[in-house]
Amino acid sequence: MRVVVADDVMLTREGIVRLLKEAGIEVVAEAEDADGLLRHVRLSVPDAAIVDIRMPPTHTDEGLVAAQRIRAEHPEVGVLVLSQYVEPSYAMRLLQEHPERVGYLLKDRVFDVAILVDALRRLADGETVIDPTIVSRLVGRRRREDPLEELTEREREVLGLVAEGLSNKAIAARLFVTERTVEAHVKQIFLKLRLDTNPESHRRVLAVLAYLRAGAGAD
Amino acid sequence: MAITVSYAIASIVAVPRSAEPLTTYAGVSTAAYAADLAAGLGLLAAGLLAWVEPRTRRLGLLALLAGIAWFGPDWEGWDGGTAFVRSLGPIVTPFFLALLFHLVLALPVGRLRSWPTRGSVIAAYGVAAFVSFGRALFRDPFLDPYCWRNCLYNSFLVHTDPGLARTLDDVWVRSSIVIGLLLVVMGALRLLRASGPARRVLLPTLVPGLLAGAGASAYAVALLRTPLEDPRSGRFSSIFLALSLSVAALALGLAWGVLETRRTRAAVSRLASELGEAPPPGTLRDALAAAMGDPALEVAYWLPGAQRFVDGRGHRTESPVPGHGRTVTPIVRDGRPVALVVHDAALLEGQALEREIGSAARLAVENERLQAEVLAQLDDLRASRSRIVETGDAERRRLERDLHDGAQQRLLALSYDLRLARAAAEAAGDREHATLLASGGDEAQAALGELRELAHGIYPAILAEAGLAPALATHADEAPLPVELDEVPPERYSTPVETAAYLTVTEAIADAVGREATFVSVDVVREDAQLVIEIRDDGAAGTSALLHIADRVGALGGSLEVEPQSLRVEIPCE
Repeated sequence: MRVVVADDVMLTREGIVRLLKEAGIEVVAEAEDADGLLRHVRLSVPDAAIVDIRMPPTHTDEGLVAAQRIRAEHPEVGVLVLSQYVEPSYAMRLLQEHPERVGYLLKDRVFDVAILVDALRRLADGETVIDPTIVSRLVGRRRREDPLEELTEREREVLGLVAEGLSNKAIAARLFVTERTVEAHVKQIFLKLRLDTNPESHRRVLAVLAYLRAGAGAD
Repeated sequence: MAITVSYAIASIVAVPRSAEPLTTYAGVSTAAYAADLAAGLGLLAAGLLAWVEPRTRRLGLLALLAGIAWFGPDWEGWDGGTAFVRSLGPIVTPFFLALLFHLVLALPVGRLRSWPTRGSVIAAYGVAAFVSFGRALFRDPFLDPYCWRNCLYNSFLVHTDPGLARTLDDVWVRSSIVIGLLLVVMGALRLLRASGPARRVLLPTLVPGLLAGAGASAYAVALLRTPLEDPRSGRFSSIFLALSLSVAALALGLAWGVLETRRTRAAVSRLASELGEAPPPGTLRDALAAAMGDPALEVAYWLPGAQRFVDGRGHRTESPVPGHGRTVTPIVRDGRPVALVVHDAALLEGQALEREIGSAARLAVENERLQAEVLAQLDDLRASRSRIVETGDAERRRLERDLHDGAQQRLLALSYDLRLARAAAEAAGDREHATLLASGGDEAQAALGELRELAHGIYPAILAEAGLAPALATHADEAPLPVELDEVPPERYSTPVETAAYLTVTEAIADAVGREATFVSVDVVREDAQLVIEIRDDGAAGTSALLHIADRVGALGGSLEVEPQSLRVEIPCE
């Protein structure tokens, strides 16, 4: 697998590059800012780009903007956005236009090589990757009347995995059940929560995140 | 006054009502008679009215003289008059046009404003005097083939010279055309150049003045074409009617102007009583503008301490300068100027305003100046408060950035290194070091977590990066109690506004938690130029003072309403 890494802080960029090399992933280029990143992606068309969300010049959401451009210009290149803060708003913005082959992970999670490599694989498979911290925070959000209480234990588990961006197949493998069972669970969940998005589409991740965020009572 | 009244009565007697013999226009018809009297008596009355008023004394004098001159032809044609009186008539007659010319150009107060007008007025008097006295000395009416008013008497005749008399007649007719046309052109220019309020004042006098000028010209042109004047002919009689009516209208306009000035003066001196006990800031300006009929009027107060001018609301204004028809009048109280009034020069001259403004109104002006001073100081204070808050926020934001780009990145790099070292130790079968490195990695992770919390506490990066709506949503996600956050306006506001709004919500949530609420509802809406935040909860009564929110909101000119279980904050957001 070939990746491009973009982060303006040399120290962390080097760290990620070394971790990737250790895991046998080829780093074809490194960039310090969004322009450099876009250039390298155009030149070497990697399998994925790993992008820090804060980059020059304003150190706000350059990474996010660059990620959206890459997704628009190179649909085959996956983008994994790294952030130091857990921000569901950013994750949702990332999913808004191109809901597949994008990921949003907390920066200190990727020190676990296995997680990093797994995320890159999932992007390559066309899945979405949302940091579990975001999902658990949204699922655990306090609500006055919690519609999630209508879900069974297993359904709640499946809901969390859907929100993390896993496909039915991946969820089935994770829970040691058949894909059909997962499909049935997902259908049931969407029915109970009255979500009108197609439960099998790529849009389902965003729909679930938005639902969880809106809190109780919202449609 | 007695002289004027007796002259008026004498004129009424002199103006003949019968048509036989026809020696004046008044004899042609009742309408001509009425118009003749209306014009002359009107001028006399308006002149008297204006003369009594110190401000328009010169104008009044001009009108009086014009009224006297207007009756010149009637004296000349007075069938029952003595030779002396009938000889006086033609002497005063030519001065009417010169006086009319002077009067109209000297509106509205009787002063000529420029050298060209002054020059032309002097020239008009000169020609009138030359013709008048020349004819008195050398014209024998008996030898004048065109005479009709008085063909017998000239008490002042020293030498008979019919040729010279004819030339003088001709000079006067041609001069009259020029003076009449000049009056029309110069008057029209005046009217076009005048400002709004000035035009309002000039219109009722200037327009009839122009018409009278046109009438005088038309009369002269008719004479040029038909030297033998026939008052009964349609042309001459209609010109006379038009001229008389214009002059009568001019007299009416003059009287209206004088009364209007009197009303303005009265309104200005009454000003204080209309202001009431505690007028809101800026009332004085409005009252003065209304009293003087000048909506563009401005009042500037001088603040000696701050060395600058402010308006009634305490906002800084430019130092007032006269120009473009505007006058600056200082209002003095106890020998000190307290305010400058910028107003239209045509309405009430500066000194008149300063004279008329009553002592009670002067006190009101001083009051409003003090109020403006306090308001200006409040403005300064608010600006300085918001500067302090902004400086603090900028410092916090910088700290957060330093942490993010410095310590956090180093800790991240350290944890990546520890992870690699651990993997290497595991590969080498060194379990002791692998365990040690694993625990070092966990420590680094924990430190990273705490540092992140700290940085977020110092300044929520999401607020600066993505704005109020995402920052509040994130805060609601993490709150220890249910937070119902309705749709927050997604647009961006200035940093102080966003920060104040964010802190209002987070502090209120913390306060609700402290009062053991089971939920908080937060409503953020934009109402015109205000960002309105309403927060409700079901906690125990007694919301704490939320002092530093009040400080922040106050620094932005906003307001805060605290009730036992709710909070309403309004922040101006441009």
